[in-house]
Amino acid sequence: MQPTRRDERDQIRPDADGALVRRPIDPQRLLAAVASPEAGANVLFVGTARGFTNGVETTGLEYEAHDSMATEALERLCTAAVDRFSLLACAVEHRLGRVAIGEAAVGIAASAAHRRAAFEAAEWLMERIKREVPIWKCEEWADGRRAWVHAEPAAAARGGDAGHERGDGPVDAGRRRSRGRGRRR
Amino acid sequence: MHHASSSAGGQLRLALFAGLAELAGTRALDIPWAGGSVGDLRQAIAAARPAVAGLLERSAIAVGGRYADDDAIVQAGADVAILPPVSGG
Repeated sequence: MQPTRRDERDQIRPDADGALVRRPIDPQRLLAAVASPEAGANVLFVGTARGFTNGVETTGLEYEAHDSMATEALERLCTAAVDRFSLLACAVEHRLGRVAIGEAAVGIAASAAHRRAAFEAAEWLMERIKREVPIWKCEEWADGRRAWVHAEPAAAARGGDAGHERGDGPVDAGRRRSRGRGRRR
Repeated sequence: MHHASSSAGGQLRLALFAGLAELAGTRALDIPWAGGSVGDLRQAIAAARPAVAGLLERSAIAVGGRYADDDAIVQAGADVAILPPVSGG
């Protein structure tokens, strides 16, 4: 994970330690990556593998991604978040492979002068990650079955945004009319 | 698949992901391809692997790492990925 900083936005390059990781996510490392003497607020979001969903027990998760497209999308979202919320820095990691219950699947850190921007940025990033980054989750259940999660497109995703976004225009959830999505900045 | 059996002998290797790969039984599906649109490609894939047809309908197609409309042209040998609805986070 390479943090995106206001003054370095144009120097971001994918490297071996990109936003997709196959090791445990280290929240402290994410926070440290966005540290800034100008920061008055540092928000850390850690999404963990949940053991129960609607009463059904999940025993583990597995994630896979289109590596290059997902890495690029995560970097682009970080850059967009820094611009949009005037962050000082932001960093994102998403784990691939098997994730045990309770372990982190995704981590987001955002630093800003004041808390509102940092909180909003973390929430916005999480929404975007779930909706448009080519990463997939496979749920493994207590009864031994497993299934990849490919949600039916929500009404919101089909008809544009439903108020989650702040004037972004329609967010396409990966349908055919999505050409150029990767260029949004 | 008349359009895909041309003597041009072109081919496409499609990268499949998650449930789509599971339904197709492979992560790398090779299909004969003489060129055509993304829409044509959807039909060719559904014909080659009927099991994926339903999920394919809801999937995006990326050519060269960029999301492509159904009317975009896909050359033989292009880098094509079929991306089912995402579920990260």
